[in-house]
Amino acid sequence: MTTVQSPVPASAAPVSGRARGAGARGAAWLRVAGGLLAVLGALLPWATFVLNEGPYPEKATLQFFVAPLGLTGFRLHLALLGLAAILVSVRAVRGRARIVRALGWGIVATSLVNGLYITVEGGGLGAITASGGSAAFGAVVALIGGAFAAAGAVGGGIEPLPVREWRMPWWAEWLLLLVLFGLLLLVVSAVLTSGGQGGVVNPYAGAVFLSFLAAAGGAFAALHASGLLTWLAAVAERHRVFSIVVLLVMALLLPLTGAGTEYWMTVAANIGVYAATAIGLNIVVGLAGLLDLGYVAFLGIGAFVAANLSGAAASEIGIRLPFPLVMIISAVVAGLFGAVVGSPTLRVRGDYLAIVTLAFGEIFVRSAQNNIGGLTGGANAIPNIPQVSAFGTAFNESIAIGAVTLPAGVLYYVLIVLLVAVVMLVFGNLKNSRLGRAWIAIREDEDAARAMGIRTGPIKILAFLIGATLAGLAGAFFAHKTAVVAYDSFRFLESVTLLAAVILGGMGTIPGAVFGASILFVLPEKLREFADYRLLLFGLALVVIMRFRPQGIIPDRHRRTELAPVTAQDPPPAKGAEA
Amino acid sequence: MLPTLLSQVANGLVLGSLIGLIALGYTMVYGIIQLINFAHGEIFMVGAYGGLAALTYLLPAAIANQWYLALPIALVAGAVIAALVAVAAERFAYRPLRDAPRLAPLITALGVSVALQEAVRVFYPDATAALPFPSIFIEGTLEIPVPGGTVPIKYAGILLALVSLALAAGLQVFVDRSRTGRAMRATAQDRDIARLMGIDPDRVIVLTFLIGGALAGVGGVLYGGYLNNINIDMGFQNGIFAFTAAVLGGIGSIRGAVVGGLAIGLVKSLGGQYLPGGTAYDYVWIFVVLIVVLVFRPQGFFGETERVRA
Repeated sequence: MTTVQSPVPASAAPVSGRARGAGARGAAWLRVAGGLLAVLGALLPWATFVLNEGPYPEKATLQFFVAPLGLTGFRLHLALLGLAAILVSVRAVRGRARIVRALGWGIVATSLVNGLYITVEGGGLGAITASGGSAAFGAVVALIGGAFAAAGAVGGGIEPLPVREWRMPWWAEWLLLLVLFGLLLLVVSAVLTSGGQGGVVNPYAGAVFLSFLAAAGGAFAALHASGLLTWLAAVAERHRVFSIVVLLVMALLLPLTGAGTEYWMTVAANIGVYAATAIGLNIVVGLAGLLDLGYVAFLGIGAFVAANLSGAAASEIGIRLPFPLVMIISAVVAGLFGAVVGSPTLRVRGDYLAIVTLAFGEIFVRSAQNNIGGLTGGANAIPNIPQVSAFGTAFNESIAIGAVTLPAGVLYYVLIVLLVAVVMLVFGNLKNSRLGRAWIAIREDEDAARAMGIRTGPIKILAFLIGATLAGLAGAFFAHKTAVVAYDSFRFLESVTLLAAVILGGMGTIPGAVFGASILFVLPEKLREFADYRLLLFGLALVVIMRFRPQGIIPDRHRRTELAPVTAQDPPPAKGAEA
Repeated sequence: MLPTLLSQVANGLVLGSLIGLIALGYTMVYGIIQLINFAHGEIFMVGAYGGLAALTYLLPAAIANQWYLALPIALVAGAVIAALVAVAAERFAYRPLRDAPRLAPLITALGVSVALQEAVRVFYPDATAALPFPSIFIEGTLEIPVPGGTVPIKYAGILLALVSLALAAGLQVFVDRSRTGRAMRATAQDRDIARLMGIDPDRVIVLTFLIGGALAGVGGVLYGGYLNNINIDMGFQNGIFAFTAAVLGGIGSIRGAVVGGLAIGLVKSLGGQYLPGGTAYDYVWIFVVLIVVLVFRPQGFFGETERVRA
């Protein structure tokens, strides 16, 4: 990852390939050739495949022969990435090598996914190259093209990330943000639905989804490499309130896009629950630096409290309270337990604290399994929790506004979006508050923080309390949405998954936690054929992330300097702390 | 009354000596590189499956049925496989992070733990459910007469306890007396000074993982022979118990690990018998002990100095 060699100032002229003699010229040719190969690969047969019913080879139809030069789906992505690589290679664009490298890796990843799927699902490498005289193997060609592009980019020398400081009138920037977030909505909707529902419904959902993810990842990485993403983030930061409002509106518009079916609403609501919980955990782990290995227990406590106050037949307390009140009570109870679990932080630090939280989590699961006090239903769970309803409409019904019929479950989706928004607001404000700074100080050096006059004890307990409160809120929602609460949903592995979401996304940032939670809960949904290997890959992924990118995909600025070696590629903090 | 009490004590001591054996691995690794090797419980589990694989797939039935032939082979197989896995985990997962912030290796260890458990579940034949483990010792139960009845102890349980305690004693002598043991103690005290004295810390650390892994592997095989069935969850549970035992005894102390293990075993068996909630809550009592010890006496019974943990 650390490919920066020369501390060239960011404002210096871009280092062009030609300036460095024959080696650089060769690298430039390699980049162009890579782009050309990628485009060529997209046009070749066996770039991708369409499978019909029936045994191989009858079931396989080469897309090439069905629609020669017909570029749709994955082949279109590949061609676009390749064209972009060629264009950037021949024109002097700032940050060129980085852009081409990103595009190259995108091409490699996309072709790899498709090539592997063709090979495995299509009857093996030999069967493919031998059958029907189709010797040209589009995916392999594209793969080599991508590798060429990436190698050429690295060989030509990687310059620092360009910093762009364009300014526009406020209305132009607002318009830009509006368009940008609109596009983001479409991309999110496309990623969510690409490949459709996994499992029996569509056996190739995984292939299509992974391929799309790889192409989108390559495109985003290229945008980031050009310095545009950083610039856009700065623009959004300048119009903070406007951006937040637009983002919220865009999130609420998701049911109107292709993702507007009951199935995707349910998936999105589940992601929302884990995103909210992950943000809560991010307070404890990301801000205060206290590792919590039993965090999912708070989600469970919130869910069980809500289940007991919902009037479900199986609950011990047979009363039914209005949903908003239930949410508040769940959050408060979870928060109190959070304070109890957090109290050992007064004496215990570091990895010993992690084990204490693990012990609390296990005590919760064992107690819930044994139906403690009749409150958790034990192995029978608490089923038939009534739906939330308002104005006579249950939240799991579809609703019609004028001519538009919204899918079932849309109200739950709206509710979880608002809930996540509240959680984000709490997190964002806390992070930039006196309390948040105190947490960060404790994370960096507890003794120094104490010496600076921070009362570390209560402040650490407060981190647990607030984190647990947010999880409790999510738990109350979870209980009503899924209608069943069982101890099984709150095991140690769920805690580890949440922790992994926070770490993968980047500790201490909101987008990181949301992104991590989305990836970790969408991937299993799409990759049903890997269901057996899911946890195995998950464990290995934890090891690999810690080894190669411990700061996560969207790192926090402070955290970044702490966990990774400082490189010249990091732009100086433009203004203040980030959101 | 008395027979019940004594047989629970006997059960507790058998389980406790096993937990002590696993705890040795925790305590040695933590003593040297201050890492809670979360995956150590899974190493124990891998050892059990390794022993089972040797008994089922490697040995002809004629040999597998003779316990005095099968036992040593299964023990060696379990120990070797567990030690190999432990050393591989050290080399590829922990060593690159040796100078990273403290939480990074702990999270890596979690990852190794999940990956190992799942690897066995996916790749070992039929490991999705509990597997029967053949008897590897004299079958049956020793009935000890006491006033009011008898106290039954399985022969395999006696073997488990004796071998565990003997191995722990052997390890103590090894660490106290041998040149390598002295190198281990030196590395635990100060890795940089040890390096100046001509000790290769990497070698010592690998050796620590190797010994800890082998002991856990032996424990896994003996445990399988004692309960006659193994499953992939056994590593996580017993790993947590063993960690509790290591902390209870004082992390870094071999004697402490054994005493802590016996104490945890007794808490589990007696707590399950006499405390409210019965066996359904025996795990809970162990976790309560863990929390209380970590909060109020983190240096344990035999911990000499209070470490500064950051």
